[in-house]
Amino acid sequence: MKTEIEIRQSLREWIAKTNGKIRAEDLNDDTPIIERRIISSLQLTDLILMLERLSDNLIDVEMLKPGAFRDINAIYRNFFETANAQSS
Amino acid sequence: MNTFADTVAKLCSVSIRDYINPYSYLNWPETVGFDEWCTSPELISLYGTPVYDSLSTAEQKRLSFYEAINFFSLNIHGEKSLIEGLAQRLYRKGNDVVSPYIHHFLDEENKHMIYFGGFCVRYAGKVYPDRKMVFAREYAPGEEDFLFFAKVLVFEEIVDVYNKRMAKDERIAGIARQINFLHHRDESRHLAFGRLLLKDLFDRYSPTWSAETREGVREYLKNYITTTWKEYYNPAAYKDAGLKDPFDIQEEALRSETTRARRREISTGCIRFLMETGILAEQPQL
Repeated sequence: MKTEIEIRQSLREWIAKTNGKIRAEDLNDDTPIIERRIISSLQLTDLILMLERLSDNLIDVEMLKPGAFRDINAIYRNFFETANAQSS
Repeated sequence: MNTFADTVAKLCSVSIRDYINPYSYLNWPETVGFDEWCTSPELISLYGTPVYDSLSTAEQKRLSFYEAINFFSLNIHGEKSLIEGLAQRLYRKGNDVVSPYIHHFLDEENKHMIYFGGFCVRYAGKVYPDRKMVFAREYAPGEEDFLFFAKVLVFEEIVDVYNKRMAKDERIAGIARQINFLHHRDESRHLAFGRLLLKDLFDRYSPTWSAETREGVREYLKNYITTTWKEYYNPAAYKDAGLKDPFDIQEEALRSETTRARRREISTGCIRFLMETGILAEQPQL
């Protein structure tokens, strides 16, 4: 499992690469990626795959709380925090 | 000349004639083994790739089982959102002509989910989760309806190619073959309805859309086709089939020219329709 810093950096780089217009360094961990349409609903499918790869866990979108993909902070909290706390 | 209403009435009468009880129609075997094909080998997502060629026949058959679970899971998720959308449109103002057929559509889609869910839960004990989400936003007049039925059409047209081929494939387990047959039998009517309705919606509303909306609709639809195809390459199915590095396998398979050619071939009918009607102005990236 990657560290918190590595995961957040991977997320920033993936979002910037997928969006194609925003740079990773211009993206904060509280930038609302859905609300600002930095990531589209269809690109979210790829983001879920990327999160599954990083967390080594299947994600069931029907079980997610609203706002789970709001920003990098929310993504980290929802998909990695518990697993990283258990492994540390 | 047949009107849209005539065609809808004809489709209704065929649905009534072919009505079946989904609980008594199929004889479910106790088990489906890894020693049987559950997906036609040529339709397995990895067919023709170095990874697939490196597997023994037994391993390929195990993969074919999980590919069937993935295919049926995709169908369940597609039909769940279809049922939601159809139910919302039932008896909506302006839908007088299509509402009688929406009743059959709903009934038949529910039956399909009984078959697909029955197979997945009986033999694999699970359905793979859905990865698609839709965000709420504002739409131009007719745009939401158009996009809903366009997505239905893409999903059903691709699925139907698989169904038609596997319904005839004597190599695959009888129950998997029968489910593919039953789905295709109803889908051929849904496809006819979907094509008529989608063209009608496009002709009615697209002239009222701004150039930006029309371009946005086309871009979304192209991306939707690409995303739909990605779901056929499920790392979870590869992992269950015992393959190592399932995410790398998925990425490599999607990049392979062999699989790209297969996606193009299977999508031919769907994309031809979308291009000929002017709904798409250029081919999507497959």
